[in-house]
Amino acid sequence: MKDFAVFWGCTIQTRFPFIEKSTRMVLESFKLPYRDIDGFTCCPEKSLVNNVDHGAFVVTAARNVALVDELGYDLVSPCTGCVSNLATVKGELKANPREKAEVNGLLKEIGREFTGTASLKHLVPFFHDAVGIHTIKQKMKRDFKGMRIALHYGCHMIRPSHALKADDPLNPVKFDNLIRGLGAESLQFMTKLMCCGQGLDRIDEHDKALDFARVKLKELKAMKADALVLCCPSCFLQFDNNQFLMEKEGEKFGIPVIYFTELLGLALGFDAEELGMNNHRIDCTPFLKKWEELSARPAVSAGIEEGLTGPNALG
Amino acid sequence: MLEAKLDLKLLEMCSKCGACYAICPSCVNIPSYDPRAVIKDILDGEHEKWINHSSIWQCLECHFCLEMCYQHYGFESAMTAMRNIATRKGAHPPQVKRGWEMFVKTSRLGEPALPARKKLGLPEPKASGAEEFRKLYALLNEKRQQHKAE
Repeated sequence: MKDFAVFWGCTIQTRFPFIEKSTRMVLESFKLPYRDIDGFTCCPEKSLVNNVDHGAFVVTAARNVALVDELGYDLVSPCTGCVSNLATVKGELKANPREKAEVNGLLKEIGREFTGTASLKHLVPFFHDAVGIHTIKQKMKRDFKGMRIALHYGCHMIRPSHALKADDPLNPVKFDNLIRGLGAESLQFMTKLMCCGQGLDRIDEHDKALDFARVKLKELKAMKADALVLCCPSCFLQFDNNQFLMEKEGEKFGIPVIYFTELLGLALGFDAEELGMNNHRIDCTPFLKKWEELSARPAVSAGIEEGLTGPNALG
Repeated sequence: MLEAKLDLKLLEMCSKCGACYAICPSCVNIPSYDPRAVIKDILDGEHEKWINHSSIWQCLECHFCLEMCYQHYGFESAMTAMRNIATRKGAHPPQVKRGWEMFVKTSRLGEPALPARKKLGLPEPKASGAEEFRKLYALLNEKRQQHKAE
């Protein structure tokens, strides 16, 4: 496997450093060749920067990709937005040689060059494709058999598909495969692929952002999902923080929101506190408690032959 | 250079299709939101109507429409172009203004939370590329000025 730089992004490092912690713990566990490199800036955030200045969006992303290109590394990120933005610009420049030449003209003056050789991957498809469910299963100490998990892919893990080529953009399967690989049930439900709506919180429309969160959380509550699992800091903010704000106003959902790296970390045998799960605003205890209870139950094979007295087939 | 543009030819086709409407999360969940109305007005030469309207910011850029679009255009492209125009007229939401200012000044949307990092036992964050970014952004604007002058 090629060495890869981890692109942490602004949101994780600013608001959720515990996500960085659990990500590092799982990367270490699998002894993956990850690197921290100097010089990254914001990816940049599309809904902000691209709406204001497309040129700034393109040159900023091209510069970030150039840093990895130069070192001969690939790039992996636990943030869907970052990967999607970087890949969108990489795709745009690869498809448009004139624009690429223009951008490289500017980059040259700061001593950089965009070649677009680095592969850009989100952590979930990376674990699915490069690490593999088989390897994960070998490392696992405890599975999630009996746990009912609702997945939220996050739009930018899979779209735009022409740039990301990560999974089917309308019927993705890789995240589901990983969850099933960990032994849990991946629930199928109406709002599974619905956008989290966090973007509305960035344009002064907090009430509408809450409306979006409410639609999904209501369905999950009705289905008695044990947790919502995702791998995007924006979606995490939407479902953990905004759920907390709604609960403060008396609307109770009680759906723990768990980052993919935390779930994987638990399966590898780390405890919840070590993984930083006590930093969530929605309490994860109900999920962990049910998991403990299920694990404490005797194996299904135990007791089957208990009390049988007659002779067996061979007498 | 490097400006997002409205492609009226594609929009003409777009206005007759609507394959993306039922999959668009904002269309489904925000009652007043309908990009088809915006596109109709653009084609009628009345895009001004929407410049100060919150609708053009309610597109979540989830890219569902782009995936559904037979032209690989998607009405998000029209919304992005409208937001660009609104921004250049200073009509963008205050939060977008604040975010943009922070980005241009620091090259990031926030600085690493140092005390929390320490508590979690995380390593020192790597050096940011802020200085190089500022140079690059200045070069981009210089080039634009030259372009205008020519």
